[in-house]
Amino acid sequence: MSIIRVENVSKIYKTNNISFPALNDISFSVEAGEFLSIAGPSGSGKTTILNIVGCLDVPTRGEVFLDEKQISAKKSTELANIRRHNIGFVFQTFNLIPILTAFENVEFPLILKGDMSHRERQSLVEEILTEVGLKDYLNRRPSEMSGGQQQRVAVARALVKNPQLILADEPTANLDSKTGKEILELMLQLNQKTNSTFIFSTHDKMVMDFARRLIKLKDGKIESDEKRR
Amino acid sequence: MWSLLKLAFRNVFRFKRRTFIALSAISIGLALLVLSISLLDGIDQQSISNIINCQTSHVKIFHKGYFDRKDKFPMDLTINRSEEVHELIHDISDIEATENRILFGASLIKGVDELPCLGVAVETEKDPDLFNIKESILEGEWLQPGEAKVLIGKDLAKDIGLKVGDLITVRMITSSDEEDFSWNAMDLEVKGIFESGNPTVDNMRIIIPLGIAQEGLSLETDVTEIVVRLNSSDDRVIKRVMDGIRERLKSKNLNLEVYSWKDLAGDFLMISQMKSKGTGMIIFILLFIASMGIINTMLMAVLERTREIGMMAALGMKKGEIMKLFIFEGGFIGVFGSLMGCLLGGLGSWYLEVEGWSMSFLTKTANMERMMQSVYPVKDIYFADLTFGTLLMTFVFGTLIAVFASMYPARKAAKMNPIQALRHI
Repeated sequence: MSIIRVENVSKIYKTNNISFPALNDISFSVEAGEFLSIAGPSGSGKTTILNIVGCLDVPTRGEVFLDEKQISAKKSTELANIRRHNIGFVFQTFNLIPILTAFENVEFPLILKGDMSHRERQSLVEEILTEVGLKDYLNRRPSEMSGGQQQRVAVARALVKNPQLILADEPTANLDSKTGKEILELMLQLNQKTNSTFIFSTHDKMVMDFARRLIKLKDGKIESDEKRR
Repeated sequence: MWSLLKLAFRNVFRFKRRTFIALSAISIGLALLVLSISLLDGIDQQSISNIINCQTSHVKIFHKGYFDRKDKFPMDLTINRSEEVHELIHDISDIEATENRILFGASLIKGVDELPCLGVAVETEKDPDLFNIKESILEGEWLQPGEAKVLIGKDLAKDIGLKVGDLITVRMITSSDEEDFSWNAMDLEVKGIFESGNPTVDNMRIIIPLGIAQEGLSLETDVTEIVVRLNSSDDRVIKRVMDGIRERLKSKNLNLEVYSWKDLAGDFLMISQMKSKGTGMIIFILLFIASMGIINTMLMAVLERTREIGMMAALGMKKGEIMKLFIFEGGFIGVFGSLMGCLLGGLGSWYLEVEGWSMSFLTKTANMERMMQSVYPVKDIYFADLTFGTLLMTFVFGTLIAVFASMYPARKAAKMNPIQALRHI
């Protein structure tokens, strides 16, 4: 069963009455547990797809289904609820809350979700931070950690609520290649262990090599869609 | 909710310098507010106490029509059955003491100098139960019944150059009508000089025994007013006693009218009300400045944390929650600023309540001194009156203003498009 189904989606941005087509009649579906990379040059529409699939934006035309439920015509509050419960995000610039410790940053989505006791949250957060290799960094603030460590915290934050889908927009772009590779290995390892679905955008060849499936975009259209390994 | 409060609390101290500036703006503004309110309240209290204890007591009974012409001291509108009135009202509860008095226009003549003044004839044995002149005698002694002697306010005595034991000619005006102006003069010995603390009294008043005034003004046993002292200055008590007196006077068909100290101190109350409006203006200006500080701080916070707002929205935080987060932050700044403001203002007011504030630097020139004293019947040192109500009102006001001031920045944060916010550099 596909976890994501994108059907004939187009997205047109309008600025001062001038239209910019970002996506042009795109269709694809993603199965649960996939490790998928959306690749392409700047302006090809990678981030737009992630935004639409991640319920941050809605398509101009076409339909999007998450777990076979249509999400493309929902209101902003309903979309916020879907993001809160079903989707984890990893950002290029980590986007951790600077005044919170690693533990508190990872705990934040669980607090928003609001269905766990403090004790349950504590045990889950400690477990996931141990999983990403930051057992000894629970009480460090982002400013006291390296870029790689911060991105590990971000990955833990995305995974902690056990979402159906994890979206990562150029997750290694702000890291050196060695650290970037470590992050990808971590994501792949977690994908295999938890069977979570990962979709990440990139234009980096090394990142594409990690993907088990690669969708290449060009000018808002799918240029190729290939399974690898 | 608790987590939002916790996060908001930490965010307040995220940009320490900016928070400090916003806190300073609020706390200094509110401290000044507490100081101004408690000082003005204190001056009001002092003024009211001086008016009641030196000039009017709580209630006065006049002949019908006297009050409207009281500035002319009409000697044709006197009370001639005063003892009957005392008998009639003495058992009304809350009445502490009553006294017959005569107010008359007068002037003091010493050689070629003549100074206008206000004559007050008192029942020397009863007056100390109603007024504080006896206890404010600086030199000399209090009057005995029927003696041809006079007490003079300190400033008046200084102006005309009198000391205890001097003889002075007192011109007592028996009719101030332009067509029928008449007066009588008496030589009286200065028996004492008093300083009541009420400039109107110390600058203008002489006090003589009732019998001497009745003789000089040819009033036989008549008086111009009956003064009533109560055991409380509470408006409700005063009203109840006045109603009781009116009822009893009516039952005996006495042609008399009853007035409270507020009716007699109309000028002061008018100025006091104008001052309340002035205080309102001060409050508005101070809080406007404080709220501008908060709006600025919060807008800067929203701008600097745009990407963080985008991230929180992406993680599923709803608009209402983002708005609450920023309102809580403003609320915390308001609570801390208000606490600091109340503390600073409270300490300052407490000092002014104990030590008082000398206005001598303002009143160095005679004109300024007279002007200040014409507004407030208080001399030299003003004392603040700090109440818990003032602190509570200031605290609540400061906090609410901070909450309201942060609503616009909070709305701005909540309305952000998460995609654009995440792209913000």
